[in-house]
Amino acid sequence: MSLYQWLLFFHVTGVFFLIGGIVIAGILNLAAIVKDRRPSEVAALYTLIRFAVPLIGAGLLLTLVIGLWLVHNVGYGYGQTWIVAAIVLWVVGSALGNIDGKYQRQTGELAQRLAAEGDAPSPELRARLLNPLAIVISYASGLTAFAILGLMIWKPGA
Amino acid sequence: MVPALIRPDSWNLPLFLHVLGATLTFGATATVALLGFAGQRGDPDRAVWLRGLAFWVGLVVLVPAFIVMRGTALWILDKEFPGGHNEPGWVGVGFFVTEPGALLVIVMMVLAWFTRSPKSRSAVAVPWLASILLVALAVAWFAMSAKPGG
Repeated sequence: MSLYQWLLFFHVTGVFFLIGGIVIAGILNLAAIVKDRRPSEVAALYTLIRFAVPLIGAGLLLTLVIGLWLVHNVGYGYGQTWIVAAIVLWVVGSALGNIDGKYQRQTGELAQRLAAEGDAPSPELRARLLNPLAIVISYASGLTAFAILGLMIWKPGA
Repeated sequence: MVPALIRPDSWNLPLFLHVLGATLTFGATATVALLGFAGQRGDPDRAVWLRGLAFWVGLVVLVPAFIVMRGTALWILDKEFPGGHNEPGWVGVGFFVTEPGALLVIVMMVLAWFTRSPKSRSAVAVPWLASILLVALAVAWFAMSAKPGG
């Protein structure tokens, strides 16, 4: 196989890791939100979300590094619209994901503490889970990955 | 340097939906595996609840995503290789993975339905079947992206 074929495989692997991780985190997060769950149930779901974090991290790294290498290998210009737009979205999505990750980690810790203190329903936990700003940041960070996928396929301006 | 690869614009939508369906299938399958493994230990009520969630994730996310992935694969195949002529080997890998894969998803869903009972003994099978599907999907994305031999 040629270098191009290997690069494309690892780039696509990054896409699967990134979007796969986002889907795992999104589904488990949604499962925690849709019903008024006990803190121990929320803690159990947030414990599982942690498995998505290395997947998302590896996906971010592979998509960017191998993606830039592919641009050079194929002969696209780094200044092309779709490449610049994809990099900007990658940075924005990563920043939003970082903010969301910290918030989710604190929510998981609160759920674990409440579970250990009697596992009674908590308005504080419910308010954190349903915080509209946090939900918008969370889902916006995920949607940027889907937008980048669209740019990779349509390549506007290529 | 490799010359930039150009494909007709009409292939873009099915390709986007195909990759989207495949990545959603991967994420949903991994979620079923995680919930299934987590549902084999600890408090029995908690375990049954997690296994029930695995079933619903499978039904609501995995099955539709798998259908989108497979349906759009046929759509783009019809555009790229009309009439099935001159299909390279990597296309066959896709069929080799998704046809038994569909059967695997059906079996997994049936077993996941039964694992919602506390006395179910099939609970152990669901996350392992999901893990097998994950490996099969990785084989398919290798074939689809690197296109070895073609």
